[in-house]
Amino acid sequence: MTPAGLMASVTPTRIPEVADARRMQQDRLTRIRGLMRAQGVDALVLLGNTNVVYATGAIWPLADSGRANFEQPVAVVLADDESPHLFSPVREDDRLRTELPLDHLHGPVYLDFDEGVEAFSTRLGGLVGSGAVIAMDEWTHALRREHSVLFVGGTPVDGGPMISRAKAVKTPDELALMRQGLRITERAISDVQAQLAPGVRQTDLTATFLRTIFESGADANILDPIWQVMPARIADGPWTTTGDLACPLSSTERQLVEGDVIWVDTGISFGGFHSDFGRTWVVGRDPDAAQRAQFERWRSIMDAVLDVTRAGATAADLTGAAIEAAGGVKPWMPHFYLGHGLGIDSAEMPYVGSDIGEAFDASLVLADGMVLVLEPIVWEDGAAGYRSEEVLLITEDGWEPMTDYPYDPF
Amino acid sequence: MTTTEVRPDDERLRLDRRARVLAEMEAEGIDVLVVGREGNARYVSGAPRLWTAGSHPFGPGCVLVRSSGAVHLLSTWDEGVPDEIPHENLYGISFNRMTFLKVLQNIEGADSVRTVATDALSPSSALMLPKAFPSADLVDAEPMLRRVRRVKTPDEVEAIRGSVAVAEQSLAAALRALAPGVTERQLTGVFMEAMSTRGVTTPTGQDVASITSREHPWHRTSRDEPVRDGDLVAFEAGVVLGGYAGELGRTSIVGDRPVDPSLSKQWSELWDRLLSACQAGASCASLLEAYDTAGVPTPPMPVARGLGLGFDLPLVTHALPGLAAEQHLEAGMVLALTGYVWKEGVGALFGQEPILVTHSGPEALSTVPYRS
Repeated sequence: MTPAGLMASVTPTRIPEVADARRMQQDRLTRIRGLMRAQGVDALVLLGNTNVVYATGAIWPLADSGRANFEQPVAVVLADDESPHLFSPVREDDRLRTELPLDHLHGPVYLDFDEGVEAFSTRLGGLVGSGAVIAMDEWTHALRREHSVLFVGGTPVDGGPMISRAKAVKTPDELALMRQGLRITERAISDVQAQLAPGVRQTDLTATFLRTIFESGADANILDPIWQVMPARIADGPWTTTGDLACPLSSTERQLVEGDVIWVDTGISFGGFHSDFGRTWVVGRDPDAAQRAQFERWRSIMDAVLDVTRAGATAADLTGAAIEAAGGVKPWMPHFYLGHGLGIDSAEMPYVGSDIGEAFDASLVLADGMVLVLEPIVWEDGAAGYRSEEVLLITEDGWEPMTDYPYDPF
Repeated sequence: MTTTEVRPDDERLRLDRRARVLAEMEAEGIDVLVVGREGNARYVSGAPRLWTAGSHPFGPGCVLVRSSGAVHLLSTWDEGVPDEIPHENLYGISFNRMTFLKVLQNIEGADSVRTVATDALSPSSALMLPKAFPSADLVDAEPMLRRVRRVKTPDEVEAIRGSVAVAEQSLAAALRALAPGVTERQLTGVFMEAMSTRGVTTPTGQDVASITSREHPWHRTSRDEPVRDGDLVAFEAGVVLGGYAGELGRTSIVGDRPVDPSLSKQWSELWDRLLSACQAGASCASLLEAYDTAGVPTPPMPVARGLGLGFDLPLVTHALPGLAAEQHLEAGMVLALTGYVWKEGVGALFGQEPILVTHSGPEALSTVPYRS
């Protein structure tokens, strides 16, 4: 099969086919513990699902957030121990796919309850010395009431930025897993696109997507898939705080009709990594001349950004190129960004063109091994618009594509 | 019912819920409630938001002001937002913490309120909240919210019934696909497809089918392994419809053969004891005792947990014996009751039934309640 999308012109060379999970996890722990030592942190306690995934290598199918908040695996990384501890509510099994020593695998803890926190802090107290410096990514009020280990010296160090920094640059093993997750996503999207026709409901497209991702090996779906029917004009859509487009809007049983312009946005998890996918489709007919012109403008914006994308470039270099190619306007949605990092989270650092501001963009330098999703849009009020996403590996002399899905029907 | 646009929760449902929270805030002296958890935000606002899997880091997702009853909501658009939440109370997605600080500072009375409650915290919010509410004590909202949420309104019970119905129909599709050679992932895929064709695209969990181990009480095999004749395959079927979780669990044997009679008998004895323990007024510890008297080890998962907008009380697990003892079942609670028995060389029987606790005993919310 001929490579499509960005891979039609650029062949990736840096992404291995197979990942070594043990080496990947050792590399992560080396980074995390290096950052801990640099900040004088003895123990890092992690509650956020994706942070736990990164630190332990544990893989479990992510649940609805209402359930995930109390069936919550917890990770403890110690500065002087090469293996993290995992407290997991998931039934003991090889789904965890961890290489953890058995004495580092613990039963569930319930950190919303004082009784659960008491049991946890007793275990934690056995792992760290008194006066240990603790970092955490988030906490419950029950944890905040714990004064023997966790909040004994005041508020813990913010552990979130440590993980954010550690995971920003991907190792070759991580890239291999990400590529597999992107392939599964695109296989499912291909099935969905074949089904696209007038009369089909948005939820029917989701049905096909979900069935195919699980059959193809996905661990979980991570986002209620978006098949948004775009209005011709912004004013025809919902009111927004920005005065700009409302997107992404949740899918319903709305039936598609001929000529609908569909903006697609989906993602899955595989091997602990999230994927991302975005394209524009037209229902039941070929794009007209105006729509093709929008696509060509989108291509020229994407090309202009790609021209300046390389390790050492700043986020401001990318936004500047995009704005210039778009004729002086920001070709992205103001509540999002021109681009974002992808990895353990669906959106993570580096953020390019977000509302953190221009000074931040000017200070953010892309590094070799980062994975960036670029998602510029072209909008022509009265004639809708075009949006697609491209997933890139940043390299010393430029970038490599991580996906090869075609732009059809454009 | 076909849903072709995103709509807010039904008016009576959402206003009843919000009134309960406001009454409890009044009783506790809480001036402002800031919630980050999606279930809490939905309970207060009645606005559905885009579903994403996994735990969400704490942030100010929804704010409720006691004095005015005003709701401020994190939503960039007004689709699905109830009419009583005006545009000026919506604030958009932001990656900039200062934006949220300004949003909170602009809330009426922010500089003078005395008590602000949150459902969780993060390091950055722990710094931000005192700046937004400089005169306030920061307190725990979870005990109050759990108390409010644990007993369902009649509308909530109907909502859960609706979720359970979709879970049941989708599970039936997965059970029809159960045959030697199919994998656990494929069965999960069949469930998800069936759920979505019924108009519901959000599951409570994404680990639907599992081959129970013959060698270990809880261990699992790979999710890629094909099921074999005679395997006991457990199904955890859960969907989120209108925000409400409907969950049920069943175990099915592969092939046309009977389940090991001694395991079946043990299951029946356990299940009868669990059901008869589900009485209004009973201590939740009696659910753990049901396992003891049936001579069955308690499983690692909770033997009961509340169903609602995600997680609710009661939570009954052997890991928290104190909590089990201090909770009592009340009429109007809805819980996922879990039975689990295992026999070496055979596998496990797992069952989960959504139960409404009533004054006249437990009512199963599925159309085909679990028996043996």
